[in-house]
Amino acid sequence: MENNHKSSEVLPDNYNYYGTRPQGGFQDREVKKPPSIRAEKARTMYLETKSSASVEFPYWYTRRWEELEGEIPIIRRAEALKSGFAHLTPAVLPGELLAMRKANYLRGSYPMPWLSEAFFLSKEDDLYKEAQKAGKASADEATTMGQGGGNVTESSGNVISIAGKFGLRKEEMPILIKTAKRWLNRSVDDVGHKYEQLVPGYDTKEEIMRAVICMFDSGYTLPQGREVINYYYPLQYGIEGIKKICRENQANVAGFPEMDRLYFYKGVHTMLEGLQTWILNYSKEAHLMASLENDQVQKSEYLEIADRLERLSESRPDTFHDALQLVWIFHVAVLNEDAISGLSPGRLGQVLYPYWKQDMNKGILTREKTIELLECMRVKFTEIDCFASMGVVGGVLSGNTFNNLCIGGLDKEGNSAANELEMLILESAISCDTPQPTLSLLFDEKLPEEFLLKGVECTKIGTGYPAWVNNRVAMEFLLNNFRKEGMQSEEARAWAIGGCLETSPGSWMPLELNGETYFIPGGSAPATSVGVHFISLPKVLEAVLFDGLDKRTGRRVYPPHGVELDTYEKIWTIFKHYFSLTVEVLTLTNNIQHDIWGKVSPSLINSMLKPDCLATGKDISHKGSRYNRTFNVEICGGVNLANSLSSLKKNVFDEKTMTLDVLRTAIESNFGYLSALDTGAYSLTDQVKSADYKAWLRIHKLCLDAPKYGNDDKYADDIFREWQLWFSKMCENYKSLYDEPLYSCQISVSTHAPMGAVTLATPDGRLCGTTFADGSVSAYPGSDKNGPYALFNSATCYNHALSQNSQLNMKIHPSVVMGREGSRKFLEMIKAYLRKGAFHAQFNIVDSRMLRDAQKNPADYRGLMVRVAGFTQYWVELGKQIQDEVIARTEYEQLG
Amino acid sequence: MKHYDCKYYLSTDVFKGICKRDKKFINADDDACENYMNAQKCKYCSNFTLTSDELGTCMNKYEAYPEMNAVTCNDFKN
Ligand code: SF4
Repeated sequence: MENNHKSSEVLPDNYNYYGTRPQGGFQDREVKKPPSIRAEKARTMYLETKSSASVEFPYWYTRRWEELEGEIPIIRRAEALKSGFAHLTPAVLPGELLAMRKANYLRGSYPMPWLSEAFFLSKEDDLYKEAQKAGKASADEATTMGQGGGNVTESSGNVISIAGKFGLRKEEMPILIKTAKRWLNRSVDDVGHKYEQLVPGYDTKEEIMRAVICMFDSGYTLPQGREVINYYYPLQYGIEGIKKICRENQANVAGFPEMDRLYFYKGVHTMLEGLQTWILNYSKEAHLMASLENDQVQKSEYLEIADRLERLSESRPDTFHDALQLVWIFHVAVLNEDAISGLSPGRLGQVLYPYWKQDMNKGILTREKTIELLECMRVKFTEIDCFASMGVVGGVLSGNTFNNLCIGGLDKEGNSAANELEMLILESAISCDTPQPTLSLLFDEKLPEEFLLKGVECTKIGTGYPAWVNNRVAMEFLLNNFRKEGMQSEEARAWAIGGCLETSPGSWMPLELNGETYFIPGGSAPATSVGVHFISLPKVLEAVLFDGLDKRTGRRVYPPHGVELDTYEKIWTIFKHYFSLTVEVLTLTNNIQHDIWGKVSPSLINSMLKPDCLATGKDISHKGSRYNRTFNVEICGGVNLANSLSSLKKNVFDEKTMTLDVLRTAIESNFGYLSALDTGAYSLTDQVKSADYKAWLRIHKLCLDAPKYGNDDKYADDIFREWQLWFSKMCENYKSLYDEPLYSCQISVSTHAPMGAVTLATPDGRLCGTTFADGSVSAYPGSDKNGPYALFNSATCYNHALSQNSQLNMKIHPSVVMGREGSRKFLEMIKAYLRKGAFHAQFNIVDSRMLRDAQKNPADYRGLMVRVAGFTQYWVELGKQIQDEVIARTEYEQLG
Repeated sequence: MKHYDCKYYLSTDVFKGICKRDKKFINADDDACENYMNAQKCKYCSNFTLTSDELGTCMNKYEAYPEMNAVTCNDFKN
């Protein structure tokens, strides 16, 4: 029989605290600054707006695509994009300083059936039922979507809810179904699926997906993103200038070998014509809004927008405001090309600095106006939604789109690149706190202290940005991986974070402005995180312990290993075998998906922007980018794996306190607790005992008490290091589509929730269905007992430059970092960690009791944001699985 | 007649929007006011033929739907 006793018999009262558990009422974050009135109005409107999907872009895209049956795919694609852009309904809102958005709605997005057509079809439709049969639907089932904020979680009135997030007008559903059906057997998903089945072991891949050992496919879900955009060409040449480059190159290559270059240039030219119409439609709309406006200030602002857009539809910008508008236009344009998460603006403050400095010197711009513009930019980035399935948008992205803006780092010569505009970017992120763009501070010893303290001031507002990232570790990783393609130290300095935490190569391009030349950084690689998207390590271990089965469903995932697991080494060996098998089959199938994507639906807009596609006439799928070794293997649950191996080794083999059979039965019995899926609570502390919990109490306690990662405990850390070293090396055994070895990537995004949801209890004492530890080097909530410096020692027990990233989340009580003294202590702690060779740390400065209150009273916390894993999101838009995990994270009440 | 069909309706999401004339927030499906004018939508275009409640054809050639915004369509004819 169920009782209400929680896990307190095995967990101490202060389980989730380091230091003294705080008493009294909960503490709010340190004082914040208000945004400008304009930005506040825009943000308020955003907060009152629901995520909305429309059909007009896919409708016109598809209509044009069909007209061109038989045409060369890249030209067909260009014409379809041109038609889609040219037909987007423009919307200019009162008070906007930066115009244009993805679709007509404020949080607008739309399905992209050319990538995948099945998942958004109505549940009654046969196609939908077909889609549900496939293994890939399992991730959707394991995901909980945030129930508040801008999510349209239920259909009502004339609005249909799709994927628990997007609202679609009911009258658009029939044409959406019709449009989707046109892509049956033609979308990247369908064509890719046809060919991926030719990979030996494909059945295993399907079972891996069904078991949610892998979270999602790569080629048709989010084929682009996790990369840094490059704004150089539009800024340097303007749209007409780029068209001229295309025409000249067309003439140079027409009739010569490598004819694909001809079609690429023609395609880019065509696509740009569509962008010009799109921009001019907005200009016309701004004129219309001006004609209906009585307020003279607002009227002139509409007219300025109209003029600016008309100028930018052809010419390069020469002011800060124009440059920022053009940057925004191209950012949105790329996002409309494919389903994309993690298209990062990169080092935007350094890209725009020449314009800003010249405007300031001319006296045509002030700091106040700059901050207002930057605040408006923040709201615009926050508006970005990505239309995808529930598993992707909820389970992976938590509704976030990961537009990461980087500050700091080094310039081309190796000096500090931090500038005054970046100080204002920090200031605007403090005054107008929004999830997007998130900030990453590229830490280097050469950065001025004043800049670092400004970063700390921003981190202390509690939104989790900037994340602190180690410039030197990233450069080492890049030089290790891209030297073969010609990367030298100078160019390694141009890097930035793409997406939430993906180290991405960049380059310096010469921007000319009023007779001066500035070398500006920008991304120079395609998506740096494609390939194998999130392997659940605890779930692989579960299969090892249960002879290849997904014990939750009883389905066979891997061939039975048939090995008697009578030594720790045998468990580790079988784990490596199953993991390798997973990486192999997923690499091959995803290579096919990406090949199909490049063949039937190649990128034109992003390709045009990325050096050196325009110079070589090759798109990003044909290695047109300067750097192309960009496929990776992403994992999730590494710390739970290490803790579980530690428990197995200690309890079963070293001290023999239990047999493996007993442990297996305990796991199947969930150590005497109800499943989190039944209780709806996803952290360890909130689990509910079943009637026979006493039978498993001793075993559970032994598992919980086994050495844990995060305590500077050699026993657990050695296991963690062994995994890390093996993993980063084994990735190189697999080749990407571009014949380059893969590298390891260690971010969890939100996958630790759905992947935890389908995983039984684990040997470390974690219970069935509960969320895994986030990130890659964050301790499992409550298990780090020895303070931050012990955690840092554990986290840096291996070389972080072996991987594209590492990720550490910490939760600190606001009182600990109060005031200037608190800031200095905090900065010293961050520096101490990064100096040990760590790659990344980010912080939630928050009182956990406030989060509990927010869970009970979401209506009082519409604007509350937390850091999840590489991104910041509104609390109310997070699923409960993630909310519980963030609440459960160890709260540090002291830094020493 | 609903705001949703009006030329002055500027939708911010699927439920609501702003009147371009007085900038007030309005619900898409509420009744329109006396300033109502037909929005440029396919259903008001002479190239459009309704074939069912929510679908039709454009120029007897393309599938189309009555509620589609057509402010950007060069072939729109009253
Ligand atoms: S011509 Fe344009 S407005 Fe008229 S029905 Fe066709 S798509 Fe709609």
